[in-house]
Amino acid sequence: MTKKRSVVAIIMLALFAAMPLLITPAGAQQLSERAKQVGGKFMCMCSCNQVLTGCNHVGCSTSSAMLKELNASLSRGDSEDAITQMFVQEFGTKVYAEPPKSGFSLVAWVLPSVYLFVGTGLVVFVISRWRKRPAIQAAPAGGVPGISAELLERSRAQASRETQD
Amino acid sequence: MDIFGSFALVLAFVCAVYAFGGGIAAIFTRHPLLIKSTRQAGMATCALIFLATFSLEYLFFSDNFANAYVVAHSNRDLSTFYKVAALWSGQEGSLLFWSFLLAVYVLSVLITYRNKNGELMPYVGVVMAGVQIFFLTLNNFVASPFKALASPGADGVLNYVARADGSGLNPLLQYPEMVIHPPNLYSGYTGFTIPFAFALGALLARYPGEKWIHLTRKWTMIAWMFQSCGILLGAHWAYAVLGWGGYWGWDPVENASFLPWLTGTAFLHSVMMQEKRGMMKVWNVWLVFCTFLLCILGTFLTRSGIVSSVHAFAQSSIGSWFVGFLVVIISVCLGAYLKNRDYLKSENQLDSIVSRESSFLFNNLILLVSCVAILSGTLFPVFSEWITGNRISVGAPFFNKVNIPIGLLLLFLTGVGPLLAWRKTSTESMKRNFGWPLGIGLIAGVIALVFGFREIYSWVCLILCVFVASTVGLEFYRGAKVIRARSGATYLASAVDLTMRNTRRYGGYIVHMGMVFVFIGLSGAAFNRDLQKDMQVGQTMQIGPYSLLLQGFDSRPEKNYTAQRMLVEVLRDKKPIMMLYPEKRHFATNEQNGTMVAIYSTLKEDLYVVYAGDSPDTQLPVLHAYLNPLVKWIWLGGAVVVFGTLVAMLPNRRAVLVLAGAPQPATQQLTHGLTPSVTMRDGHD
Repeated sequence: MTKKRSVVAIIMLALFAAMPLLITPAGAQQLSERAKQVGGKFMCMCSCNQVLTGCNHVGCSTSSAMLKELNASLSRGDSEDAITQMFVQEFGTKVYAEPPKSGFSLVAWVLPSVYLFVGTGLVVFVISRWRKRPAIQAAPAGGVPGISAELLERSRAQASRETQD
Repeated sequence: MDIFGSFALVLAFVCAVYAFGGGIAAIFTRHPLLIKSTRQAGMATCALIFLATFSLEYLFFSDNFANAYVVAHSNRDLSTFYKVAALWSGQEGSLLFWSFLLAVYVLSVLITYRNKNGELMPYVGVVMAGVQIFFLTLNNFVASPFKALASPGADGVLNYVARADGSGLNPLLQYPEMVIHPPNLYSGYTGFTIPFAFALGALLARYPGEKWIHLTRKWTMIAWMFQSCGILLGAHWAYAVLGWGGYWGWDPVENASFLPWLTGTAFLHSVMMQEKRGMMKVWNVWLVFCTFLLCILGTFLTRSGIVSSVHAFAQSSIGSWFVGFLVVIISVCLGAYLKNRDYLKSENQLDSIVSRESSFLFNNLILLVSCVAILSGTLFPVFSEWITGNRISVGAPFFNKVNIPIGLLLLFLTGVGPLLAWRKTSTESMKRNFGWPLGIGLIAGVIALVFGFREIYSWVCLILCVFVASTVGLEFYRGAKVIRARSGATYLASAVDLTMRNTRRYGGYIVHMGMVFVFIGLSGAAFNRDLQKDMQVGQTMQIGPYSLLLQGFDSRPEKNYTAQRMLVEVLRDKKPIMMLYPEKRHFATNEQNGTMVAIYSTLKEDLYVVYAGDSPDTQLPVLHAYLNPLVKWIWLGGAVVVFGTLVAMLPNRRAVLVLAGAPQPATQQLTHGLTPSVTMRDGHD
């Protein structure tokens, strides 16, 4: 390891390690953390297709009304389940920001893992098949006469391709 | 002019049908005149589509309010700038714009290869003409933008009328990025038609794999670059216009644009396996097919109204046309594959699991898993309604939970892949290549922990970003060092020289660096803060290190809208930094309101301020401020990605090998005094 490499490494280290310092905590929130956490579990019903706490309609009356209901429920001490029931009764299952982890909705959560496992299985299968494939036969002793010009040219091209990067 | 446009579209349709039918006949007969005439019919189709598009633009510029589409999407006071964008602001115009961009690509291909690849081009021409026929069918018979405004009279007969003024353009679209975001995104979608046409054409013609791959590489990269640009510009538009403080909401239409990008990215990686080792031929062909299918599926999702989205066009019968087209494409692709699959046999074996080949396989796996997970999440509300009768929404929290770990895994592979050797990587080489990057990444992680970094995903993301950046930096450093030792040039000049000798490889590294920047920006989202307050003039609110002082209001009548502005002074440590002017806009023509966010952006964080209307309780104006860390890195990363892609598309500068004591030919001046004795193959990495 040369001195210069160490200097470059240290500078890079310092630059990237300083990134957390870029982030500073902000001031107080108007919505309580609890309201934000619970509100993030529902969709805004104004058709913005965003979660309740992130409705993209400025001055949206629907999200204001829903947030008011949410704040009122939280101040009454309602549980999260009770709040969920209230919104589902009012708006239907469309109000969920993410599918509940029960019943048919569980399928949505299971599928990505299934894709990953099936995909990994497939990749492992492909790799094992590729590894079992017989290697290209070596040329016979003094074998250039046994290799056609076309094969020789192809092999040269392959060697060139595979050694350039 | 609308009759002229209609006529041009009908003629374009006729020419496309000839290019398609004649092309099929040419494939069987190989008659040179037929091949030439179908190629010329393809060119005529494109020219006629250009004419039709310019006709519609002319209708906008001349305020022709006898045309229904112009009435619905423009008005007299709309600025010239936005009259250009009005072309793609509605269903009919955007479909014509799609045909226009497709025609640009098709014409470029037909001209570029007019005297080359005679065996393959008739097939490619037929596929391109087939796609054009579909869109021209929509332009002519389903969603024509050249319909005259008419109202039924007392006798039931339609009377053609003209309005004094139009309804105006949607306020959300009256933003500079809306003039460049859709063309970029559409250029991406339509651009993937070209690799699709080459892949399908090559499969049908049993054309050598390495040749079609080589021919389509640049077209794929162009499409991919436009798609990347389009996605990021769309994200920036959402951030700067919608006023919710975010840039990506996993809306179905956003997802639809992301899906072909994922498969396109997978293809750009796995294609190297085919070029270098003659492997993954079936996989590559299907990746190209899937990318094109996903472009069409995305368009179907946007336009059918099947999924609810802020972007979606109104529900219409046009969706069934796209379903039909999807069925036709899938059938043709499947048929071609089943007929000629023996031609796609792999030429090589895998020598080791620890190799570049394996890393590409896993990279493709992760990209595809992400793609399928996003697709199934997007369509889950539809499936849940079909199966249970209840529509269950799938919003951003679900997509974040699923995709953040996948994204991090991909980021890890971005660092690992390029450092593995083809065929087999020795333990020694792994230690040499990974030791320092991994060490630097882990030390950065420890320092981050010491400074109170507690958000797990962001912490892992930080470590991986440092790791990947180090691997990329090390690759440039090592290469530049060798060149510098021989040429005596500076490190920077040597790195540029290195890049120009193998643009594809080092352009790819620049793209990876751009992705690191994007991930840095995304990781900042975990620390977003916001604060909303009813404000009186003279009052301040504090968010993070900033004090926002409301100095007053003003009202500006503009040509097409009236803007109400908050005059907000930003102070830091009691020192004024700048003024911000968040706006509320009222568009009288269509009685709609819009916002204009004010942003003070630094590499550290964005102070994002919205005039969020008046409070119903206090009647006071509401100021909504967000503090979004690191967002600027996303846009910066996007620019680096585009730059890297452009570099990767450049031809290689001729490289030379140095043999000590060899005689010096006259070309040596080109390479900083190197002694060239053996000229290496050009244009390949």
